[in-house]
Amino acid sequence: MAERTADRVLRLLGMVAHLDAHGQADLDDLAERFRVSREQVLADVDTLWLTGTPGYQPDDLIDFDAFSLETGVVRLTQARGMTRPLRLGAREAVALIAAMRALTHDLGPALDDERRAVLTSALHKLTTAAGALAETAPVTVNLGVEAHSEVTAAVSRALTDRRRLRLRYVNAADRTSVREVDPVRMIVDDGTGYLLGWCLAADAERLFRLDRVLSADVLDTPAVDREVTTDADRLDPDGRTVTLHLRSRARWIAETVPGASVRNHDDGSFEVDLLVMSPAWLEHLLLRAAEDVLDVSPPEVARQVAAKARAALLAHGEDVT
Amino acid sequence: MATSIPPDERLLDLVIALVNTPTRMTKEQIRTTVAGYTAAPSAVAFERMFERDKDTLRELGVPLLTVTDASHGDDVGYRIDLEAYTLPPVDLTPAELGVLAMAAQVWQDAALRSDSARALTKLRAVAPSAQAGDLVAGLAARVRAGGPALAPLLDAIQRRHAVRFTYRAATTGEVRLRLVEPWTLAAHRGGWVLVGHDRDRDAPRTFRLSRIEGAVRTVGEAGAFPAPDPSVVTAAERRWADAGGGTALLALLPERAEALRARALPETRVPDAKPGDDAAVFEGRELVQVAYRDAWELAEQVVGYGDGVVVLDPPEVRQAVVRMLRAAAALDRDEEVHDG
Repeated sequence: MAERTADRVLRLLGMVAHLDAHGQADLDDLAERFRVSREQVLADVDTLWLTGTPGYQPDDLIDFDAFSLETGVVRLTQARGMTRPLRLGAREAVALIAAMRALTHDLGPALDDERRAVLTSALHKLTTAAGALAETAPVTVNLGVEAHSEVTAAVSRALTDRRRLRLRYVNAADRTSVREVDPVRMIVDDGTGYLLGWCLAADAERLFRLDRVLSADVLDTPAVDREVTTDADRLDPDGRTVTLHLRSRARWIAETVPGASVRNHDDGSFEVDLLVMSPAWLEHLLLRAAEDVLDVSPPEVARQVAAKARAALLAHGEDVT
Repeated sequence: MATSIPPDERLLDLVIALVNTPTRMTKEQIRTTVAGYTAAPSAVAFERMFERDKDTLRELGVPLLTVTDASHGDDVGYRIDLEAYTLPPVDLTPAELGVLAMAAQVWQDAALRSDSARALTKLRAVAPSAQAGDLVAGLAARVRAGGPALAPLLDAIQRRHAVRFTYRAATTGEVRLRLVEPWTLAAHRGGWVLVGHDRDRDAPRTFRLSRIEGAVRTVGEAGAFPAPDPSVVTAAERRWADAGGGTALLALLPERAEALRARALPETRVPDAKPGDDAAVFEGRELVQVAYRDAWELAEQVVGYGDGVVVLDPPEVRQAVVRMLRAAAALDRDEEVHDG
C-alpha cells in the first residue's frame, strides 16, 4: 500500500513538471507516457486540483483549464512552483543503472550495431542524469550468458534477420534431437539463457535452454511470425499441481517461478503450489533445493526424487542408509 | 475541509508547501497549516505521520533539509534544496526509453523492481516523446530476487553502515554471527553475494545472500567506514567469481548428460587411480573434463542427472553434489515412518 502511495506521488509530480514544460498534453499522450489508463489520468488531475500551498484558497491551488479538459486536452494554468522534474533517488539510480550496465556488457556483444548503439547511448544518458549517484556501483550484475558463444551469436543473428534456426538440442530428460525453430525472443533468466521459439516439429511454442543447444545453424528460410504468449514460462495448462512446503530460505523458488501461489506459515516457512509441465524440471528443482524442503505433495513425487538421489549416491560409491 | 485526506495528497501538499516556503517551515507550522496534518488527532499521531512521510520523501529522492536557526533556539525547521531537487536535462529517444523499460524489467526482486520503475517514471516525465521503441523486443533478461536481506544491505552500503547477520558457511554448514562493513552486492549467474570487509577476520570476504539466516541489523552509526577503494572491491569480487573455478573430472553414462559432454575439454587427462578407488565407478562410463566457474553452480547442474553423472574430482564439487543427494534421498523418510 505504501508502495502504491509513493509511486502515485511520483507520477503526479512528474505530470505537473511535464505539463509545466509543455503547457498542455492530450489525455491519451499522458496515459501512454505514464503507462496508466485515461481514467487514471483524470483521477490524477482531480487529485492535483485539490493540492497547493497552505491556505488552500482557489489562488493557492494547482489549476487546470476545465474547458479544454472536456475536449481531452490537459492544460495546466497554475503549477504553484512545481516546475522542476525530480531527480533520481539513490536506490532508483542504482537499480536502473546496474540493470543497464549488465545488459550492455553481457548482451551487447551479441547484438547488431544498431541495437548495441542504443544500449550504449541509453546507459550514457542515464548515467549523466544520475550525476554523482552513478559514480559508485553498490550493485553489480553478471547475467552469466556467454555473449561470445557461437550458439548465442547464431540465435541473436537469427532474431535480428528474422530467419529460421536448426538446433541440435538435449532436453531436460537428456534426449538429443534436431529441430527447426522460428525464433521469437532470447531470454536471460537468472543466469540461464533461453530461446523462446516456435518448434516446427511440435507445431507449438517451446522454451529452449541455450546451454542445452549443442549447435545452432541460421537457415536461409525466413522465420514465420508466430503468435506466442508474451511471457512463456515453465507452466502448462495441462500440467499437474505439486505443492511444496519449504523453509523461508528457499523463497527464491516462489519468486522466480511465474504464477506460483504462496501460503505463508507463522514460523517463516511457506507452501507453494507449482503447476508442473516437465517432471524432469521438478526433479531437478527438488534435488537442488532438497535441504530446504519440508514436505512434498503428492508424496510419490518425493519418493521418485529420493529414489533417484539414492541411485546417484550408489553410483558415487557412497553408502545409502 | 474533509476530515480525512489520503496519504498521497498529504505528501504532495507537504512537498508543495516546502518548495514554496521562502526560508523554512517549523514542525509546528507544518502541523497547523499543511493539509492532511491539521486533522492529526494528537501530537503523537502527527509525529508518527510526519516521520514516516519524511522517510518516504527522502527515499523518493526529495532533498529534504533540516535547518536549525540560532534565533529560534532549538526549534527544528525544514526546507527543500531546490538546486539538488532538479533532475539534470536528459533527452531520451523512444528507442532509448524502450531499452530502459526493458532494463527495469530485469529485476525479479520486489525492492529493486519498484525502485527501477520509479526511476523510469521520472525519466518518462521529461522524455520528448511519450512513445517507447521496441528495438530490443527480441531480448529479455531476468535476475533472481535477492531475498529479504537485499534491501537492508543496499541501504547499509549507501549509508556506509556496518551490519551484523547470521551466516551459514557453504562448505561446512557452520553457522556464525558475522560483523561486516558492506561494500557492494553482486549477482552472478543467479546467485547474489555481498562483498565487504569482515571485521572479525579483518579481511575482505564474500557472502551468499541465500545463506544469510534471519534479519540483517545495522551496528553503530552511519558513515562508520570510508568508501572502499574500487580496486579492492573489484579484486575481492573477481577473487570470488574465479574462486572455485577450475576443471572437474566427470564419469558419464553413455548417451546421458549430452549438454555436459558438449562442454567437455578436448583432451581428458585421466588421473592415476588412487588406492581405495572403486573401479566399478569407471566401468561403462566415459570420463570427461569440463571447465567450471563456480563449484556450487556445477554441482546444481550435475545433480539433475542423477546416476548419469559421477563427480570424481575436485572434492568440493563432489561434496556439494553428495550433500544435495543426501538431503534429497531423505525426502521420503518421514513418509516411510508414517507408513510404517
